Amino acid sequence: MDSNKKYWKGLEELQQTPAFVEKSKGEFAEPIPVEDVLNEAGLSTKTPRRDFLKALGFGLGAVTLAACNRTPVHKAVPYVIKPEEVTPGIPNYYASSFNGQSVLIRTREGRPILVEANPNAVGLVQGTESATVSSVLDLYDMTNKLQNPQIAGKDVEWSKLDTTVKQALVKASNSGKQITLVSRTINSPSTLQAIAKFKESFPNTNLVQFDAISYSGIRKANEQSFGRAVIPAYNFENALVVLSVGADFLGTWLDGEEHTQDYIKNRNYKSLEGGKMSRHIQFESGMSMTGTNADVRIAVKPSEEGAVLVSLYNEVTGSSLPGALTGNQRAATAIKLAAQELLKNRGKAVVVAGANNVDAQILANAINVAIGAYGTVIDLDNFSKKYQGSEDAFATFLADANAGRVGVAMFLNSNPLYDYADTKVVKDALSKVDFTLSFADRADETASELKAIAPTSNYLESWGDESSREGYYTIVQPTINPVFNTRQAEQSLLVWSGNIINIFDFVKNVWETQILAGSAKKWKDVLQTGFEYKGKLTANAYTFTGNVQGAATNLQAYAKTLAGEGFELSLYESAAIRDGRFANNAFLQELPDPVSKVTWDNYVALNPKDIEALGLGENSVVTVEGNNYSVELPVLAQPGQALGSASVAVGYGRTKVGKAGNNVGVNAYPFATVKNGVTQTAAKVKISKVSRTYELAQTQTHHTIEGRNIIRETTFAKYLKNPASESGRFADSHKSYDLWNKFESPGHKWVMAVDLNACTGCGACIVACNIENNIPVVGRDEVRRRREMHWLRIDRYYTIEEDGVDYTKEDDIANLNDFQNVKVVHQPMMCQHCDHAPCETVCPVLATVHSSEGLNHMAYNRCFGTRYCANNCPYKVRRFNWFNYWNDSRFDNYLNNEFTQLVLNPDVTTRSRGVMEKCSMCIQRIQAGKLQAKIEGRPLKDGDIKLACSGVCSANAMIFGDANDPNSEVSKALRSERIYYVLEEINVQPNIGYMTKVRNSFEA
Amino acid sequence: MRNISSLLGKLAKTMSVGMMLLFAVTMSNAQDVKEGQTLFKSKCTTCHSVTKKVVGPALAGMTERHDEEWLVKWIKNSQAMIAAGDPTAVQLFEENNNLVMTAFTDLSDDQIKNIIAYVKDEEAKAAEAPAGGGAEAGAAQSDDANTFMIIGLIAIVVLAVVVIVVLNRVIRTLEKVIANNQAAIEAAQARNETVAENRFAKFAQAFVKNKKLVGFSVLMLVAFLAVAGWNTLWNVGVHQGYEPVQPIKFSHQIHAGVNQIECQYCHGGAFKSKNASIPSANVCMNCHNTVTASEHYDGELSPEIAKIYRAVDYNPDTRAYGNNPKPIQWVRIHNLPDFAYFNHSQHVTVAGVECQTCHGPVETMEEVYQYSPLTMKWCIDCHRTTEVNTDNAYYDQLIEAHEKLKKGEKMTAAMIGGLECGKCHY
Repeated sequence: MDSNKKYWKGLEELQQTPAFVEKSKGEFAEPIPVEDVLNEAGLSTKTPRRDFLKALGFGLGAVTLAACNRTPVHKAVPYVIKPEEVTPGIPNYYASSFNGQSVLIRTREGRPILVEANPNAVGLVQGTESATVSSVLDLYDMTNKLQNPQIAGKDVEWSKLDTTVKQALVKASNSGKQITLVSRTINSPSTLQAIAKFKESFPNTNLVQFDAISYSGIRKANEQSFGRAVIPAYNFENALVVLSVGADFLGTWLDGEEHTQDYIKNRNYKSLEGGKMSRHIQFESGMSMTGTNADVRIAVKPSEEGAVLVSLYNEVTGSSLPGALTGNQRAATAIKLAAQELLKNRGKAVVVAGANNVDAQILANAINVAIGAYGTVIDLDNFSKKYQGSEDAFATFLADANAGRVGVAMFLNSNPLYDYADTKVVKDALSKVDFTLSFADRADETASELKAIAPTSNYLESWGDESSREGYYTIVQPTINPVFNTRQAEQSLLVWSGNIINIFDFVKNVWETQILAGSAKKWKDVLQTGFEYKGKLTANAYTFTGNVQGAATNLQAYAKTLAGEGFELSLYESAAIRDGRFANNAFLQELPDPVSKVTWDNYVALNPKDIEALGLGENSVVTVEGNNYSVELPVLAQPGQALGSASVAVGYGRTKVGKAGNNVGVNAYPFATVKNGVTQTAAKVKISKVSRTYELAQTQTHHTIEGRNIIRETTFAKYLKNPASESGRFADSHKSYDLWNKFESPGHKWVMAVDLNACTGCGACIVACNIENNIPVVGRDEVRRRREMHWLRIDRYYTIEEDGVDYTKEDDIANLNDFQNVKVVHQPMMCQHCDHAPCETVCPVLATVHSSEGLNHMAYNRCFGTRYCANNCPYKVRRFNWFNYWNDSRFDNYLNNEFTQLVLNPDVTTRSRGVMEKCSMCIQRIQAGKLQAKIEGRPLKDGDIKLACSGVCSANAMIFGDANDPNSEVSKALRSERIYYVLEEINVQPNIGYMTKVRNSFEA
Repeated sequence: MRNISSLLGKLAKTMSVGMMLLFAVTMSNAQDVKEGQTLFKSKCTTCHSVTKKVVGPALAGMTERHDEEWLVKWIKNSQAMIAAGDPTAVQLFEENNNLVMTAFTDLSDDQIKNIIAYVKDEEAKAAEAPAGGGAEAGAAQSDDANTFMIIGLIAIVVLAVVVIVVLNRVIRTLEKVIANNQAAIEAAQARNETVAENRFAKFAQAFVKNKKLVGFSVLMLVAFLAVAGWNTLWNVGVHQGYEPVQPIKFSHQIHAGVNQIECQYCHGGAFKSKNASIPSANVCMNCHNTVTASEHYDGELSPEIAKIYRAVDYNPDTRAYGNNPKPIQWVRIHNLPDFAYFNHSQHVTVAGVECQTCHGPVETMEEVYQYSPLTMKWCIDCHRTTEVNTDNAYYDQLIEAHEKLKKGEKMTAAMIGGLECGKCHY
């Protein structure tokens, strides 16, 4: 049965704005200027005969001359002494880690080209995040990185820098002043050991850890609640009810990827087939990626988040703390129901609070104690070591510096002049420090203000290790020699403290004496596997000692500071560029936000009703004023945003990060405040209209679905009654006829199954696809012209539900009170490799044809750019190269750069201007997998071939394989009753099956 | 004629005298030397030469440096002597960078003595050669060769002079004849010319008048030009026969042909990778460490091999590598366009295609040239006809393939998708 629920990609589509209707008529955003040429004026222009002949003659001559170049002589330069492990043409893999995630680095002929998740580390912390996947580009960000150490902005030799630094250190030591190393959280055992060694030589050294995105509230709350200042591990696989209050735990909150891995185990097709699905309830103000995945999402203002926790605590424990939620009927009902759910699933439920607020976290802890989450879902013993920053420590440093007690200040992976709430305080404090130095790889906002820069090497050039959680150690091993004259910070610290040891020996020694002591593993084993996991510690019992009463009172007081006139602003971390560290990574800048689909900018997200009330419209710009800071930002109408609230992403507005990231968006960090040693990311702001307009580069409205039924959604209750519920399979109810003969696939038939229930919309697959397939970054202007090149996109559809009723008709939707209660479905969309592909029949030059393995091939060099195929593609997945992105000065900041081009995958052609391209199903990987099997003389096994997108999906939402193998995972998945094919009714016979979205909502 | 036969007679005499002299010199220990030579060549040449330092030191003069008994012990097991603390042995070991010499416990004392005798003999020869006419045997031989060459040259000069004189006389005679018959010849020439002119004019007139013939000819010309143009255009970018000059005059004929070195010894990548790969210079050094081809260059290092040494920054005298290697910049012969993916291992390892099928008789090529056109037509023609090597267990999966084989049909690469665009273009 077809569902008649209405889905829409953006408000423009929902409201059918005149501009949208006009644009949706044409296939391409900018119509071809046929009319200009064929109108009366165009046709009546006269070309004199002689001019015509001149032009003809010149054209002929020019073409002939241009064609007359000699075939270039290609040199083949072999190694002088070939390293034993290198065979040209065969990739080498090295285990390493990034951000505590275990990864494999693929190198070709000595240059790293791809970062993949380490398959050995399944279930542990794996590198499947978009930032991790794209980190390989940072290595090649050469035009913006420093090539030599600098003193006062001038390049110097390392020996000169070493002498200067040593003098400063000795001077500080002798005068009894402090030497402070400010850093982002360090969890690397070898770095900590290097600092300890440094401290032996300079005992007055202290390490200050400070994170731009702070979780110190959780650590403080846990100290007060259980006497352990740690960030616990959340094992969502044990949770059947997940309630989140403002925590984007699948995305940016703590270890999003790890959480996704676990969370999805109770929601994917395997779990559903077992008749099990968790329920996820989300209270939040802005629409986060996690919110889009929730079964029930309630929009609350930042000031109400505390009240939600208080009410929930009251409901769960039956007590009556002050400051319970008032005036939000929908939320109140949801809290009641949620409390019952939580209690019913005692020991299998968890409450997470996103706010970095000690009181909120204490209340969340209290609720979790009441519902028995500790020991099952929450683990205080196997804690996370990712965020150990302390605002207190940083404040002490600033005070000491101001008092002239700091002799040397060094900054490692730390950029407080950009990301601290009050940069002026930092600047003043630093001016009173005798000697300042940064280890940054570029002259960033902080480093450029300091006396010296000792550029550290990229992680792909360094030895080291990380330990993102208790008992889990990952190795960092280099895959290339340092490209420039850089030296890793640990080595610098060792040199300055007079420890003459090579960093390799140092790291090896730390592993052999500390981490591997008592283990059967040897150093070489670790280099191969990439990590050492000591196993889980058994959970201890903890008694809750937090002051709930006090917390509730504090929350009430805090809410008052936010509520009132104006808007409540909440800052959030962007899913792509995170806290701003990755701002110069063009792949991440162009990765559309999972919810708003905006690229290359930050913006103020407001509820559409609020926008209407403020008299704003499309492309409006507003001033956001608050906390003695004011910025101008474009406005985005965000369905689902709580009324009276606004959200702005931090991490943008960097000024000294590099050509791609400079001045993209504006800096929102100054809206934050540090109160009682904890950074608060909510603020009260005034929003007022500015006369100028600004167009955000969004990808969401680039195609329209014309009201077609391409999203199939059901509820868990319906699913349990009938697994095929709402899948609306066309084949079940219609007899189909065919114009074409059936397409035979005698060998393999490559297909994919996409589990809409597992896809969280994070977008890591898009980045992986970009890097694997040499997909160019086109920049903001080109995205505005709808010319983004992504082969894979994640379509985000909204649907409205209010008071338990799914609104189906446009009239109803227009009459809704607000846009707070929207539901979202993410649908990865790429070439469907149709067996009866409409694109193939219209290509005049047979550039796109079908293969016997069920793939839709694209021969770039046959294509001459008529774009008929894109016009005829019902899925709109074909992309046209409007420029030679790799060889055009307009794209200098992205990929037309001799260094960034080194990231290219040598197995995939770079496409030229005027050529159509689209998802090839990583045919290069399929061919390589087949060849490997042939060389080994064995049949191809299921799982031998992994696509870039499915390989990086922590939720395993994309299952790829051979449909001709009945036992392959994909064959099993495609036999699921939930499978439907998008636009099946037009009988193009796509090879990618989608599984219905199942929502475990209350109303069912 | 007489001259030459007498010359040959003379030469034979001197040579036999020379041989006898040589024999007389080596007579004393002939048997020993011969066996010694065989043993030396099979056991010692990898590391030693009589006159030059190879891996081990030059052996000339070793009997003066050490007594024979000591040498026998040393050759049998040098490490034992070092271990036993023999001071000379230890010193020698250290002088040669602590390189361990293989123990030859299987050699008898006599055999070793034979080797020593051979070395002594070679040593003597080497000492004679530069001394010029000092010693009899070698000198006599070379003297003879010299006289023979000089006599030959003189003979050729004389012969040339004779020929010139004779030819001169002939010319003079002919000129006289011409002068006598000048008038008659001119008359005959004039007659011939008018006839030819008339004939040509007639033909031309007839041709121009015959419009059909003109049309036909023009048509033929156009057709010819079209065919020629068509062929030329088809061959734009086809570089069959491309034979660039390489930085090193490397001969596949010597390496793969004469010396029968397996292709994969140098081009190992062809069996496991996309690239066949040009060997890195250290692969060359595996052999050219000792193979210097000096026999062709008067005992000097071959200039081409010297280029390898320069590339790896190797000093043959000190046998040490420097820090300034310079990669060899070969000129690539087989250039596929970037949009065509070709994998050697698929063809060599999986399909079992011989290298020569595409690269031609490389083992006979002095300098390598592009043997095949490397056009897509050429690829496809082969895919259409080449049968799939179905012994490979991978193909067990291809259900249809099985059925065809059961029916006794052939299965070509084309039938399993070998002609599809995406197999080579992605």
